Amino acid sequence: MDERLERYAELVVGLGANVQPGQEVFIVPNLEHVDVARALARAAYKAGASYVHVNYTDGHVRHAMIELGPDEALTYAPDYVKTFVESFAGNALIATIGDAEPELMTDLDGERVGRAVPVEVVQIRMQQLMENSVNWCGVGAPNEGWATQVYGEPDVERLWEALAFCMRLDEADPIAAWREHLARLRERGAALDALKPDAIRYRGPGTDLTVGLLPNARWFSGSSTTASGIEYVANMPTEEIFTSPDSRRAEGTIRSSMPLVLSSQIIRGLELTFEDGRIVNVEAESGAGVVRGELDNIPNADRLGELALVTGDSRVGQTGTLFYNTLFDENATCHIAYGAGFPFVFEGEPDEGLNVANTHVDFMVGGPELEVDAILADGTSVPVIRNEEWQLA
Amino acid sequence: MNPEERIERYAELAVRIGANVQEGQEVFVYGIPDHADLVRALTRQAYRAGASYVNVIYGDQHVNRAMIEFGPDSALTYSPEWQKTLASSMTGNALLGTSGNPEPELLADLDGERVGRAFQVEVAEIRRKQHYENSVNWCGVGAPNAGWAQQVLGEPNVERLWELVATCMRLDEDDPVAAWKEHLDRLEARGKALTDLQPDALHYRGPGTDLTVGLLPTARWGSALFTTNSGIRYVANMPTEEIFTTPDSRRAEGTIRSTMPLSLAGRLIRGLEFTFEDGRIVNVDAETGADIVRTQLATVENTDRLGELALVTGESRVGQTKTLYYNTLFDENATCHIAYGAGLEYAFDGEPDEGMNVSNLHVDFMVGGPELEVDALLADGTAIPLIRDEVWQLA
Repeated sequence: MDERLERYAELVVGLGANVQPGQEVFIVPNLEHVDVARALARAAYKAGASYVHVNYTDGHVRHAMIELGPDEALTYAPDYVKTFVESFAGNALIATIGDAEPELMTDLDGERVGRAVPVEVVQIRMQQLMENSVNWCGVGAPNEGWATQVYGEPDVERLWEALAFCMRLDEADPIAAWREHLARLRERGAALDALKPDAIRYRGPGTDLTVGLLPNARWFSGSSTTASGIEYVANMPTEEIFTSPDSRRAEGTIRSSMPLVLSSQIIRGLELTFEDGRIVNVEAESGAGVVRGELDNIPNADRLGELALVTGDSRVGQTGTLFYNTLFDENATCHIAYGAGFPFVFEGEPDEGLNVANTHVDFMVGGPELEVDAILADGTSVPVIRNEEWQLA
Repeated sequence: MNPEERIERYAELAVRIGANVQEGQEVFVYGIPDHADLVRALTRQAYRAGASYVNVIYGDQHVNRAMIEFGPDSALTYSPEWQKTLASSMTGNALLGTSGNPEPELLADLDGERVGRAFQVEVAEIRRKQHYENSVNWCGVGAPNAGWAQQVLGEPNVERLWELVATCMRLDEDDPVAAWKEHLDRLEARGKALTDLQPDALHYRGPGTDLTVGLLPTARWGSALFTTNSGIRYVANMPTEEIFTTPDSRRAEGTIRSTMPLSLAGRLIRGLEFTFEDGRIVNVDAETGADIVRTQLATVENTDRLGELALVTGESRVGQTKTLYYNTLFDENATCHIAYGAGLEYAFDGEPDEGMNVSNLHVDFMVGGPELEVDALLADGTAIPLIRDEVWQLA
C-alpha cells in the first residue's frame, strides 16, 4: 500500500470532511482518480462510515452527450442523480479534482458546453450549501493528464510531491500543522472584520475595481461548521480568507492573472468590466465564448459572489507552479468569483445584496503588482496587501 | 480495421443488435473503470441510435473490497435509495453491461462468509422483478482488458484478446449486423425444430458419457434472442451460439464427463465427471478441484439437480477460437453445456413446470466435443440424432 496515498486519504477524511462515525460518505471522483477514490473509501470506512458511495464521472461520457445527444439531454437531471445528491444532506461528501483531459471539450460547440448543466441537481446542492447540511471537502487527485498540463510531461510523481507539499504531508503531524495554519488564517479574517470596511479596491495592471461589502458579512477562512456542528475544511489545500460582497456594487475592470479552466476549456487573459455590480463586458485571449455562454444562460452569473485574499506565504504559491486547477491556483493568490455568494458568511440572515446563482466560478487576480485596500465608510484607504504580503496586524 | 474502428463497430453491434436501443429510450451502461474504452464507445453508439440520455454507472470492486474488509455488517446488504431509484429507472429502457474481470483474485484473501453476504438485496429484488416482467431490453458484452488477457493468454496481450473477441462477435464480416441477424435466425430455427419434435428426453453419448435427461412439455428450446413485454427484440448475451432449455430436474440417469476446464471460485476444475440417479448428482469425480464442487452440492440446496441444457455446434465462432476465456459469457458458447442449479423460468410457455429446479446457484460446465452424440428421445422411444461430429442434424 502506498503510504503517502493512505496518509493523504486519512488527512482528507479525518480533518477535511471530518467524517463522523455512522455517517454515510459520498465520494465523487473522475474516472482517472481511482487510486485516490479507493484510498478515500478505505480511510472513510476506517473512520467509522456506515457506507461509502463512490460515483465516478467520465468526461468522455459528457463529451458524447454534448456532441451526439439531443438538446433535452443537456439539462436533464435523472431522478436517481437527484436522489443521490439529496442523500448528501446530513452526511459527508468528498470530491476529487484534477482534470486528466482539460482540452477534451474544445472541439465542441461552446454554447452547448455552457448549456450542459443538470440544473435541478445543481439546485439541490446549492440548497445544501445554503443550509450548510453537508461536511464536505474537495481535494486533488494527481493523474497523468493533469501532470502533463502542469509540467509538459506525464510526471505524476512530481505532481504528487507538489501536492504533498501543499497539503503539509511533510510535517511530522499533518493534522496538527493544519490546525495551526487554519488558526492563523482565522486571525487574519478577524483583523479585517474588525476594520468594518465598506469596500475593497483592487489595483494592478489592467485592474482597477472597487467592490462593495455588506455590513453583516464576515471574512471566513478554510474551516467551516455544519448546521449540526461538524467542523470541516471545504477545500484542501486552503490559504485564503474570503467573503461574499455586495452583488449590487462593483465598478471598474479586473484582469485575471492566471489561466482558468472552465467546462474543460482554458480561458486565458480574462477581463471583466463591471457597472452597478453587473458584468457588462467579457474579453479574453481565448475561451471568452464559454464565459459569455454561462453569463447569458444562468441568471445572476453576471454578479460577484466571492472575494478572497491570499498572500505570498501560501504553500501553493511557494511551489511557483501553475496547477491549471482552481482548487490549487485559487490558493496561490488573490481571487474573485462570479456567480453564487455564500449565505454562511453572514451573521444572522444573509443580506439581500448576496448573489444567488446556480454557478460559482473563481478566477485569479493576484500577483506581485496587485494592491488591495480596504475602503472604510469615511473613505479612508487601509492597505491590506502589498507585494503579496499581509499588511494588517 | 484499426482498433478505434473495431471498438465502434463492436459497440454499434451491442447497441443495435444486442440491446436494440430504441429512439427516445434512456440507456443505462454498467461498467468498471477497466472497461472505460468500451463503455465510452457504447455511450457514443447509444446516442447515435437515438437514446434520449445515456446514464453510465461505473462500479469498482476495490471499493467493494474496502466495504467487505473495513465496513460494518450493515453495509454488506445495504441498498442505498439512489441505487434503488436507478434500478427502477431501467424499466422500459435499455441496459448494457460489460464483463471481463481484470482482477479475479481481488477478494480471495477476504473472509469468504462476508464476501458471500455482500449483496444489495433490495436492488436485486427490483432487477429480478424487471427480469420477470421482461421490461428491459438488455445486453451483456465482453470488455477486453489487461487483467483478463493475462488470465486467458498468460500475458497482458489485450490486442490479441481483442482479435479473439472480434472473431467471436463476427466483426470480420462485411456487414456484422446482417451476419448476426442471419445467425440468430438460424439459432431460432434450430430451437423451433427441436421444440416441434416434442422430445421427452435428451440422450448424451461420448467418452465417459452416457446420460439421459428428461424434458418438460411446456419448456421450449430458444436462443438468447428475447422480446420485452413492449415488443422490443434483444439479444441478452453477445456472443451467443446456443439454444437452451430447462430440463425436468427429477429425471436424469447416467454419467457425464466435462470436456473443458471449469473456472469456479478462482480455481480450475478439470475432468469433472458426474453420476446421476433419479435426477440427483450422486457422485462427483474430477482430476482437480472435485472438493469445490462437492462442497457446493452439499451446502447449497438443489444444486445437485440440473437447471439447463444447451446445444452448441462446431460452427460456433467461440469454439473455433479454441480458447478458454475464463468467462462464462464466452465459454458457454464454445460447445454443448449443461448447468447444475437453478433452472431458467423464461424457457417456459406460461407458468414454469414444477419440475423446474429452484436453487441459488447456476453453474455451467462444458460437455461438447467431436465425439459427443446428442439424440432427442421421443415419447414412443424413437431416437432422433441432433448432433453428430459437432454438426446439427435436424432440418
